[in-house]
Amino acid sequence: MGTTSFIKRAALGVLAAAALAPAFAQDAPVRIGYAISRTGFGAAGAQLSQEPNYIMWAEQVNAAGGLNVKGKKRKVELIGFDDRSEVETLVRTYEKLMTSDKVDLILPPWGTGNNFAVMPLAQKHGYPMLAPTATGRKLLGMKNPYFFALLQQPDVMMTALAEFMKARGVKTVAVVHVDELFGLEQMGALELALKEKGIQIVEKKSYPIGVKDLQPVLNDIKAKNPDAFVSLSYPPDTFLITAQSRAIGFNPKLFYAAVGAAFPVYRDKFGPAAEGVMGLGTWNPKSSPAAKAYFDAHVARWKKEPDRWASAHAWAGLQILEQAVAKAGLDRKALRNAIASGEFNTIIGKIRFRNGENISTPGVVSQWQSGEFEVVWPPQNATSPAYFPKPNWK
Amino acid sequence: MKLRHSILATLAAALVLSTMPWLLSDFALAMTLTCLMYAGLAVSWAMFCGATNYLSLATAAFFGLGAYVTTWTSGGPLPYGVAVLLGGLLAAAFAGLIGAAVLHLRGAYFAVITFGLGELVRHAVTYYEKAFQGTVGRVIEEPPEAVTIYHTVLLVSAIAVITALVVRASRLGLALRGIGADEERAQTLGVNARHAKILGFALSAFFAGALGAAMAMRWTYIDPPTVFNPFIGFQTVLIAMVGGAHTLIGPLVSSVVFSLLTEFLRLQFPYLFLILLGLLLILLVLYLPGGLASLIGRWRWRKSNA
Amino acid sequence: MAYWFELAAGGLITGGIYAVVALGLNLQYGLMRIMNISHGEFLMLGAYLTWLGYTVLQVNPLVFLPVVALALFALGVVVYWLCFQRITRTAPAVEVIEARSLLVGFGLMFLVQNVANLIWGADYRGYSFLTEALDIGGARFMTNRLVVFAFAVGASLLLLAVLRWTLIGKAVRAMMQSPTGAQLVGIDTRFLHPVVFGVGIALAGVAGALLSMVYEISPGMGEPYTVTALIVIVLGGLGSAARCLLGGFLLGLVETFGMHFTSPSLKMLLSYAVLIAVLLARPKGLFAR
Repeated sequence: MGTTSFIKRAALGVLAAAALAPAFAQDAPVRIGYAISRTGFGAAGAQLSQEPNYIMWAEQVNAAGGLNVKGKKRKVELIGFDDRSEVETLVRTYEKLMTSDKVDLILPPWGTGNNFAVMPLAQKHGYPMLAPTATGRKLLGMKNPYFFALLQQPDVMMTALAEFMKARGVKTVAVVHVDELFGLEQMGALELALKEKGIQIVEKKSYPIGVKDLQPVLNDIKAKNPDAFVSLSYPPDTFLITAQSRAIGFNPKLFYAAVGAAFPVYRDKFGPAAEGVMGLGTWNPKSSPAAKAYFDAHVARWKKEPDRWASAHAWAGLQILEQAVAKAGLDRKALRNAIASGEFNTIIGKIRFRNGENISTPGVVSQWQSGEFEVVWPPQNATSPAYFPKPNWK
Repeated sequence: MKLRHSILATLAAALVLSTMPWLLSDFALAMTLTCLMYAGLAVSWAMFCGATNYLSLATAAFFGLGAYVTTWTSGGPLPYGVAVLLGGLLAAAFAGLIGAAVLHLRGAYFAVITFGLGELVRHAVTYYEKAFQGTVGRVIEEPPEAVTIYHTVLLVSAIAVITALVVRASRLGLALRGIGADEERAQTLGVNARHAKILGFALSAFFAGALGAAMAMRWTYIDPPTVFNPFIGFQTVLIAMVGGAHTLIGPLVSSVVFSLLTEFLRLQFPYLFLILLGLLLILLVLYLPGGLASLIGRWRWRKSNA
Repeated sequence: MAYWFELAAGGLITGGIYAVVALGLNLQYGLMRIMNISHGEFLMLGAYLTWLGYTVLQVNPLVFLPVVALALFALGVVVYWLCFQRITRTAPAVEVIEARSLLVGFGLMFLVQNVANLIWGADYRGYSFLTEALDIGGARFMTNRLVVFAFAVGASLLLLAVLRWTLIGKAVRAMMQSPTGAQLVGIDTRFLHPVVFGVGIALAGVAGALLSMVYEISPGMGEPYTVTALIVIVLGGLGSAARCLLGGFLLGLVETFGMHFTSPSLKMLLSYAVLIAVLLARPKGLFAR
C-alpha cells in the first residue's frame, strides 16, 4: 500500500538532498604555506614576533567561518615548517611549497637575510609576500613586485629619533651598534639624520652580537658625558647594555635601545628600572580599540604579550592579506595588484604601499612609562608625552 | 681492473643524474642537489680524515672561503665555472698553508684547532667586510641558472668521488692509510708523512671549497654566518662517520640516506624532528659503530656464506 | 688607576665563568677521553632550572644551587650509563672513543636543546637578581657578577681540593695518569667513571645557574660556552684542573684587554688567534710542564 508513496517520499528526499548538497559540500581549504625559524639563532625573534601571529590568525579566521574569498568563505589550512635558521633549508622548503605542494598563498620567513633569499622565488612563481621583519634599502632596491615591506625602514625611524632630539635641544650623542646588517644600516641612517640636524656624534663604537661585557666601553662613553646615548643593539645585548649602564650610573638625558626594548621580557626583567628607556616601537594596547583587542587575544592564546614593534606589523600584514583576498580572490597576480594599489585598515592604522614600502606607518620613538611602552614622538602619533630628561635609574 | 670499473660506474651514474633537471620537480631536484653536495663533501672529507684518523672540523672554513670567492666575483667578468675552480684552489692553498702549521697535532687538539680556524676565518671575513667594505651581507644580483648550478655541483662531486678512488689506489692513499694505522712506523718505512698529510688535506679542502663556491649562488643573499655555518662541517663529519669513514661507499650511501631522512623527518614532524634525529644518531653510534658501511659488509659476508 | 683595575677585574670575572664551565669538560675528557660536545646544553638546563626555581618557587638562586648541582649530577650519571658507557667499553682505541663520543655528543646536543625548545619556547627569559652596583676601590661592579665570580672560583677550588686531598680525588688523578696502572692497584673504574662524568655535568649545571643571574637564557645559550670550554681546556692543558682555571682567567683577560685596545668587534678573532698561537707554540697547553 505504501510503496508508491514511499517511492515518492524517497524521490523527494533525494531531490531535497541534491538541492541542499552545495551548502553541505566542503570547499577545499585555502592552503597557506611558510617556513620560519623554530630552532637556531632566528628562533627567538621569530617565535616572539611572527609565528604566534600566523597561528592565531588562522585560528581566528576559521572560528569565524573561514577566509572570505571574493564572497565565499573557505577554511584556512596553515602548512608551516621549521627552517632551522638555515638558508638552504629555507629556500628548499619554499620551492617545495610553491612548486610541488602548489599552496594558494605564502607567508614570509623571519629576518632580513631570509626574506632576501625567498624574494627571487616569490617573483618567479608569483606569490606576494608581506614581510613584517625585514628592513633595509637593499631589499626595496631589488624592486621585486611581489615583495612588500611592512616595517618602518631605518631612515624613517632614525629621522624620527633625530627630530625628537632636535626638538629637545640635544647637542651631543654617543652611539654603539651591533656588528650586524641591522646595526650597520641603522647606524648609517642615524649618522645622516643627525648630521642634517646639526647634532654631533662624540663616540661611535661597534660590538659583536652576544658580547658578554661592555662596561669598559660604557665607562668611556660616560666620561664623555653626552646628552644622549643610542644603542643600536639586538637582544641580548640590549639587556646587557641596559644593566651595565645602570650599574655604572650612566644616565644621560636620553637613553635609546633599538631592538629588545619593545619586548615584554625587557620590562619583566628590569621592572621599575626600565622607566624612561626609549626604543623602537610602534604601538601599545592604548593605541586603538582594535590594538587592545589584538593584545588581549594574544595574551589569552599564548599566555604572553606581543612585542611593541614587529608583532603588530605581522598582524597588520595578515589583515592586509585577508582584505585583499576578499576583494581579489586567490588569483595571485590580481592579489598582488590589489595589495600594491589599495589602502587597508589595520591595528596600526591605515596602510598603503608605494614600490613595496609601507609609506603610511610613521617613524616613531617609544618610551617605557609606568610599565607600558608609550609612543612619545611625533606628537600626532603619541599615546603619552615624553619624559625628558630621562629619570634616574631606579 | 677494479679501479677502472669504479670510475666508469661513477661516470655512468653522473650521466644519469645529469638528466634529472628535466625529469624531476623543483623540490625533488633541490633534494638531489643537497644529496650531491653532501656526497662530495663527505667523500672528500673521508678521503683524508678517514684514512689518517685525523678529525678535521675545518670543512666549514673551506666551504665558506669558496663561497666568498664566487660572491666577490659575481657580477664581474669572471665566469661562474672559473670562479668555482678558483674557490677550490683558494681553499686548497689555505689548507696547505695551515696544514703545514697544524698537522703535527693529533686527536682532540687537531679537531679543536681546525674548528678554531674555521671560526677564525669566519670572523676575519666578517671584520673585513664590515670594516673595509661597509657591508655585512651581499646580494647576488644575477645568479646562474638553477640547472647550471646543479650540473656544476654534480661535476664537482663526481670528480671528488673519482679523485678519492684514484687516491685510494695510489701511493698517496697507501701513505695516508699507513699514517692512520701507525704514523711513526709509516715514517720509518719511508713515508714522508708531512708531505702526504699536507697534500691529502689540501686535496680534500679543494672539493669543499669548490662546492661552497658552487652552492653559494643558490642563496641570493650571502653573509658570513650563512656560508661559514659550522653545521655544514658537523653534518659532513656525521655523514662520513655514520657511513663508515674508512670506506668510499659508506659516505656516499650515508649522504643520500641522511639527507633524505632528515628532510623526511623535518617535513613529517615539524616540531619534533631534531629530537628524533638526535635520538637516531645516538642509537646509531652506540649500536652500529662501524657505520652503514658495516651493514653492507655484513650483507656481503652473509651472501658469500649463504 | 681604578679604570685598569676595573678592566682587569672584569676580565677575571669573565674568566672565572669560563673556567668553571671548562672544568667539567676537562674532567670528562681528561679521564675518559669523552668529547662531550653537548656540555653547554647541560649548562642551559641548569640555567632554566634556576630560573624556574626563582620565578615559580620563589627560591633564591644561590640557595637553589646545591639542588641544581645534585639534579644535574643525577642526570649526568644517567646520561653516562645510557650513552657513553658502551663506547668506553667497546671501543678498540682511544681515538675511536673520542670520535664516537663526539658523535653521541652531537646527538645529545640536538636532543637536549630541542626538548628545551619544545618545553620553554625559543624566546628569551630573564630575571633580575642582585643587580645593584658595588663600589670597590673606585671601580664599580654589579653585585651579581661578583657573586658569580666568587662562586665560580669557590667551586673550582673545591674541586681542586677534592682532587688533591681526598681518596677519591687521588683515585681519579691516578686514573687520569694511567688507566691500567690504576686498575692494577685496585681502583674501581666502573664506579668512578659515571661519578666523574656526573660531576662534570653538575659543574656545567652550576655554571648555568650562576650565569642565569646575569644573562638572559634561551635554549641555544649553551653552544657558545661549549666552544669556550674547549678553548680554555686547550689553553690550559688537558687533564689538569688547576691549569684549566688559569686558562680560563687568561682567556677572560685576553678578551677584555683585547677588546679595549682594538675594538669589541675583534673579540672572537682575538680569542681564536690566541688559541691557535698557543697550540702552535706549546701544543700541550700554555702551562703544561
